[in-house]
Amino acid sequence: MLKRAIVLSASVLVLAGCATPTRYVDPAADNGPVAMTMDYRDFEKAASEAVDDMLASGAVSNPNGGRYIMVVSRINNDTMQRIDTDQLTKKIRVALLRSGKVVTTTAVGLNGAEDEMTMRARELRNSEEFDQSGVQKKGTLQAPDLSLSGKILQRNHKVGDEQQVEYYIQLSLTDLATGLAFWEGETPIIKRGSNDSVSW
Amino acid sequence: MKDILIAGCMSLALLLAGCASQPATNPLAERQELKIDPDVLYTLTVTELYEERLSQPGGSSLLQIQFAVEAHSDAELAWKVTWFDERGMAVKGVGDAYRRASLLMGQNRFFKATAPHPRVTSYQLHLREPQ
Repeated sequence: MLKRAIVLSASVLVLAGCATPTRYVDPAADNGPVAMTMDYRDFEKAASEAVDDMLASGAVSNPNGGRYIMVVSRINNDTMQRIDTDQLTKKIRVALLRSGKVVTTTAVGLNGAEDEMTMRARELRNSEEFDQSGVQKKGTLQAPDLSLSGKILQRNHKVGDEQQVEYYIQLSLTDLATGLAFWEGETPIIKRGSNDSVSW
Repeated sequence: MKDILIAGCMSLALLLAGCASQPATNPLAERQELKIDPDVLYTLTVTELYEERLSQPGGSSLLQIQFAVEAHSDAELAWKVTWFDERGMAVKGVGDAYRRASLLMGQNRFFKATAPHPRVTSYQLHLREPQ
């Protein structure tokens, strides 16, 4: 019995020693294999192309000077994967903020404010417990000028012995004053691989 | 009297040092605008590299570059642009990853990139082979 336990423990140790060690991946120098599902490289590519194009088109430059205020609207996930679309929109928001041309409001959103503290902090008005000089005054919030919306689509095809998965990342930037889309873009991401790979 | 004089001189020296402009930084090696890995040169040639400043509605301008490559054979290419401000400091864009492109033999392809901020004045374009 003891002999069997020792052999089993030794086997486990040998197998553990042969396992691929866990390692960090540097996104700036990642030569790793490509997955059929959408990974961080796909989001980065789509965000890079979108921001590049938005900046080059001049759509996010306020002709009156100053920064535009943008709100993130709905980004529909029409793929077979569970995707948090913030993976895409956050990159765009950060890049636009860094560009000095656009600032995003977190006080407005389709499903309520992204940061509810903006309104909660205003509930302190008239509270005798708080120094009222530090409480936010009425009429200080700024309404958005632009809205970012979009859709991520997925289409699967059989191509010979392989499968082809097509993702389309479609984005629109709407001027809320007129309802017109000031900028629109689409980034196709096409992957072809083994039929055994799963794309959901 | 002598102590007061010394203290006064030292204060003046400190004040002047504080007002002095920051020393200019010197690059250890001249930065090339176009950096191509030798492996890539077997499969393609960079035929164009243009840059221009795009006027923006607010009055500012953004640096934009365009480069073209011609493939001698079917090839894979990875490229990345790093942006720098007037002082030579890197300016962050969306991400640090290389962008990949596929080229067919004899194909000419044109690629564009726009600086992430108006303060960008220079760049480095790096071409390599994806592994």
